[in-house]
Amino acid sequence: MTLLYGFYVLIWPALTLGVLVLICRAVLRDRRDAKREHRELV
Amino acid sequence: MNSTSLHQFSTLTVVLLMLAFYGGTYLLTLGIRKKKEDADAFMVSNHRIGFGIGAASMTATWIWAASFYAAATSGYTYGVSGPIHYGLWGALMILFIYPFGRRFRKLAPNAHTLGELIHARHGSSSQLILALSNVLGSVISLMVNFTAAGALVSVLSPLSFQAGVIIAGVGVLLYTLWSGFRASVMTDFAQLVALMAIAVVIIPAVFFAMGGPSELVAGLDNLTVEQADFFSTEAILHQGAPFFVAVLAYAIGNQTISQRLFAVNEEHIKPTFLTATVGYGAIVIGLGMIGLMALTLGIEPLNGDMNNLIPQMVSGYLPPVFIALFFILVIGSLSSTADSDLSALSAIMMADVYGKNIARGKADPQRMLLVGRLTMIVATAVGIVFASFSLDILVMLVFVGALWGAIVFPVIASCFWDRITNAAFTTSVLVAMVMFCLARFEWLPLNGATGLLFELLASIGGGVIIGLMVFGFLGRAMGFLAGGLALAAMLIFATGFLREYTVLLASLTAYGTSTLVCVVMSLASRQEPFDFATIGERVGDYDQAHAEPTATPRRAAAPSSATLAGQR
Repeated sequence: MTLLYGFYVLIWPALTLGVLVLICRAVLRDRRDAKREHRELV
Repeated sequence: MNSTSLHQFSTLTVVLLMLAFYGGTYLLTLGIRKKKEDADAFMVSNHRIGFGIGAASMTATWIWAASFYAAATSGYTYGVSGPIHYGLWGALMILFIYPFGRRFRKLAPNAHTLGELIHARHGSSSQLILALSNVLGSVISLMVNFTAAGALVSVLSPLSFQAGVIIAGVGVLLYTLWSGFRASVMTDFAQLVALMAIAVVIIPAVFFAMGGPSELVAGLDNLTVEQADFFSTEAILHQGAPFFVAVLAYAIGNQTISQRLFAVNEEHIKPTFLTATVGYGAIVIGLGMIGLMALTLGIEPLNGDMNNLIPQMVSGYLPPVFIALFFILVIGSLSSTADSDLSALSAIMMADVYGKNIARGKADPQRMLLVGRLTMIVATAVGIVFASFSLDILVMLVFVGALWGAIVFPVIASCFWDRITNAAFTTSVLVAMVMFCLARFEWLPLNGATGLLFELLASIGGGVIIGLMVFGFLGRAMGFLAGGLALAAMLIFATGFLREYTVLLASLTAYGTSTLVCVVMSLASRQEPFDFATIGERVGDYDQAHAEPTATPRRAAAPSSATLAGQR
């Protein structure tokens, strides 16, 4: 039970961290692509 | 840990925190500022926003200040399943709109608002109903976010509620006013990074500071049977079901979503919406867990105000620096939503009101920009005034929710079924609103045959919601099958029972009535089937059309100015 509840609470910040990393990497890629194509990011 | 007060910052500290936040955000927008902005970019950037910025903006926009407070309240009230019943359905609002969003984008690749698409499909009356629902939704959202800023500032510092409202309102307006949507999406990314990083730190920090998993499990004895049950009927009926009903309505009725839908690179719509779904769910459910932690510890919310739960937990278990981080977390979430609402409102006034109904296809982009910026100033002033006077918006909120529910079927069906007519769209929404009011305010006694009639309409509404959700992902046959099964289940289990839950009954009645009226009127109409290919020709960019009066299309999907001028 302890392990299960620990997982139940901590999985959400872990998922948040995963999405944060994914988004940051994607933005860096977007920035690189925009630079290469001589256009603005937004 | 039932403390009687929260940690207090000095006035100087809070002013410096807000100055750092809004000053930093403003500086960020200087990097993308153009001396001469163009109207299309002010509304939807270049229709080619990448996956990263798009997903960040979508997530940041959908998370507003109320998300944290409400998720924690849900965890505190309904126990183990509470945070899920708030965060999951909120996340699914993003997910379930994406298949329909792809269709919207395919029909009108260069649109700025969903209203433009509906204008091209039906004309002004249907478009203005949609625009009105969008405007009301965004004004309410602005007010709620400014109110949250005022409440936070007044709770954590000697500054007044009004001071917090005004600083937030002016701060958001300053960085959004010049570049509009471009500033909104750019700052959304920075705000989301801060927001996520803080959430990643704060949730485990509070959890382990209160004693970790063993303390949580030990505290489960403080919960009622329903609160300890992951499949609690009470949580489903009071929190989950009303939210589930609103899944499609919130997304359709919200221009902030449509705006991002028309701004993101078409190839990236799916990953953008999927990532935003997971991102929103993870942050909001995670912060909702703090409400569950408070419940297991037997903590009473300060002054009986549930909004104090998270600050109370952070204040009680963590050093002041975490309170400052929490402060930034809330200011970041409310500002990212407020700037999106300002951009959404300006796009509606620019495209739906000025472009389609005043200039009628001869819109001057510079005048459009002026309309957009004036809209932002007026909307901020309205938001600040409504928030400062703490106006009761419950009735307005009830009507907007009903309006959103009533337009779901007509909007979606209009984009897939060529027989829906303008009269059917408009009449169905108006009749649905009347039926909603009859049920919601119990203007008719909900017993006997009347109660049964409303339960029948609500059952149709339930079938429509399930049917549309399945249709979006699995196609027409599965949609009809799922909708039929849901209708049958509702008729068997809900009759004689649903009338006890008037909020749910009224919401479902709005869906059911608008669907029924819309379908019957469309089938009875002798109007020629609509040619969907004409929508793409009627909805286009404004700057290009203005600069090149006889221009050829920029790309295959873009309309020529001649056809653009014919959008009357």
